[in-house]
Amino acid sequence: MKLFEYQAKETFRKFGIETPAGVLIKNAEELSDAMAKTSFPIVLKSQLLMGGRGKKGLIRLVSDEAQARKECGELFDSEYNVRKILVEQAVDIKTELYLSITVDPVEAKHMIIACGDGGVEIETLAVESPERIIREYVDPDRGLMPFQIKNVGFSLGLEGDLLKKFSAVLANLYKAFVSSDAELIEINPLFITGDGNIIAGDGKLSIDDNSDFRQPSYGKTRDYYDSDAEYEASLEGIPYLQFDGDISLMCAGAGLTTTVYDLINYEGGTVANYLEFGGPNYKKAVRAMELCLKNDSKVILVVTFGTIARADVMAEGIVDAISRLKPDRPIVTCIRGTNEEDASRILKEAGLVPLYDTEEAVRKAVAIAKGEKP
Amino acid sequence: MSIFIDETTKVLIQGITGKEGSFWTNHMIGCGTNVVAGVTPGKEGQQVEGRDVYHSVRRAVDKVEVEASMLFVPPRFTKDAVFEALDGGIKKIVTVADGIPLHDAVQIRKAAMSEGAMVIGGNTSGVISPGRAMMGFFPYWIERVYKQGRIGVMTRSGSLTNEVTAMVVKAGFGVSSLIGIGGDPVPGTRFAEMLPLYEADDQTDAVVIIGELGGTMEEECAEMKGLGIFTKPLVAFLGGRTAPEGKRMGHAGAIVSGGKGSVKDKIKAIESVGGKVAERPRFVGDYLKELLGDRVR
Ligand SMILES: Nc1ncnc2c1ncn2[C@@H]1O[C@H](COP(=O)(O)OP(=O)(O)OP(=O)(O)O)[C@@H](O)[C@H]1O
Ligand SMILES: [Mg+2]
Repeated sequence: MKLFEYQAKETFRKFGIETPAGVLIKNAEELSDAMAKTSFPIVLKSQLLMGGRGKKGLIRLVSDEAQARKECGELFDSEYNVRKILVEQAVDIKTELYLSITVDPVEAKHMIIACGDGGVEIETLAVESPERIIREYVDPDRGLMPFQIKNVGFSLGLEGDLLKKFSAVLANLYKAFVSSDAELIEINPLFITGDGNIIAGDGKLSIDDNSDFRQPSYGKTRDYYDSDAEYEASLEGIPYLQFDGDISLMCAGAGLTTTVYDLINYEGGTVANYLEFGGPNYKKAVRAMELCLKNDSKVILVVTFGTIARADVMAEGIVDAISRLKPDRPIVTCIRGTNEEDASRILKEAGLVPLYDTEEAVRKAVAIAKGEKP
Repeated sequence: MSIFIDETTKVLIQGITGKEGSFWTNHMIGCGTNVVAGVTPGKEGQQVEGRDVYHSVRRAVDKVEVEASMLFVPPRFTKDAVFEALDGGIKKIVTVADGIPLHDAVQIRKAAMSEGAMVIGGNTSGVISPGRAMMGFFPYWIERVYKQGRIGVMTRSGSLTNEVTAMVVKAGFGVSSLIGIGGDPVPGTRFAEMLPLYEADDQTDAVVIIGELGGTMEEECAEMKGLGIFTKPLVAFLGGRTAPEGKRMGHAGAIVSGGKGSVKDKIKAIESVGGKVAERPRFVGDYLKELLGDRVR
């Protein structure tokens, strides 16, 4: 789960990393209170999960009240569905650094990435000037050693008091990374201020979903998702992605669903939604179909090839969903795997035509989407 | 000989008395696996499918010889169970758990590397050498998917494996050893680390990798082939060619981010060393025919 900047910064502070003074507001009315608690110039930072907010004009530096009110209104009214703004004291920036920690799946280590050019996109830098990037690999069993912190600090050209302050930031960031079960923790930019302080200017924190059970609950709310449907599906635990094409996918298994998505594109069709109802969800056919029917897709395509997610159970689920929801569009089925003979019989009895070949099913769905009679 | 396991490999089942554990123990034996004992803390003295159950791995390995361990253990206890197996001196471990915490997965792989052990998974269906043995859950009774033969298969996906393997069989081939690496971002063992085993296996003529967007495992295979460490024909099927950047397609490992992990890059890497990349599952069979001709399958 990706957290918002203001949440990442809460975590930073909890671990002793300084952030600019700031107030989170949920509407334009709350701006007065926020301005009372800060002093100009301030920065209005739209709280969105997508990257590149600065480039999209969603981060605004303002120097007086009138400008603040005007730009705050613009941000809340923008096309980007801004629901929260972090009102922050502007910092007197001398230098911007980059600092992050993630895991390296090959070495099975934690990987610190640092760079003297903060604020820029690190991926771009990695391609254009890879020699500027500093990497330090941490053995998860030993933890981050003091010599490694110094390695990073010296490579960044820091010394004296700044090196000391930076060392504390990195040590604390590493603690936050481990205790948050983070996939990624990133400070970009990390400000070095005119008066010699080190402050986290931005924050990204992405928490591993498999570790939810041992992490504080952040509560799933609509603002974490790009669409209502994706939010609704997530509450059901159904993997779902919203697109705007003609064919609703109701498939089982990540790999197979992704492949069906590709095949539809090859055949000149378009996908309305990606939906998986395999694995632990293989009895959720009714909810899954309901989600598909909310799209204005022209056909629903069911493709499965399950072992534990038995074919006969999935076929029964489809038949049950059809009788309850009375879908207004055709359903193409290709259900295989454990007990597939029973599945075919169940589908036939319900008046459906069971197909056995994924490509054939995809072609059929694409043809229907283009107007052919089912 | 097949790779990882065959019908002689002495297999321990951790979590043998659970619902899944006992159900699949029955099938593993049915498929030919040499299951020698099981472990469930607190259940010593019981039997499952005629095999003795012990309180702990240590107590089991004191009594019977064990070469490999199959874990039917929930994700949050998997790290402990893997470490217990390693402590018992077991060098081949398969975990099917879906939902292992990321930081646990890092420590699991780290431990396996330093002990010279191989941990397969998690988030996989496991390992199967059709007609010989399996550790995990595969519908081995579906002949059109799990027919014995001479093609090695490695995969990051469960559902897609059935789909692609069915095409391999349809083209007249069969499977020697199938290794489910799993769909997690930090699998215990990576594709490329299996290639030397397939290279040495006289029952494998070619290897099919079933990969997808995200990560660099497919590129690492290309590197092995480029270095000449792996010389047999290599065919890949990769899901997510048309996936939009930044969207996570199903598996946690399946995302293109920061311009890395795209299927396009993977195709380039594999083709540059003479490997073939099938655009559709069906083409995997066609490429195998092209590369192997009329050789025994
Ligand atoms: N409190 C602040 N004081 C002064 N300048 C700031 C402050 N916060 C942000 N900035 C300036 O705005 C730039 C962009 O801010 P930030 O890094 O938070 O957003 P971003 O990187 O564009 O967005 P994203 O992280 O979504 O890609 C910073 O590099 C910095 O120069
Ligand atoms: Mg930033």
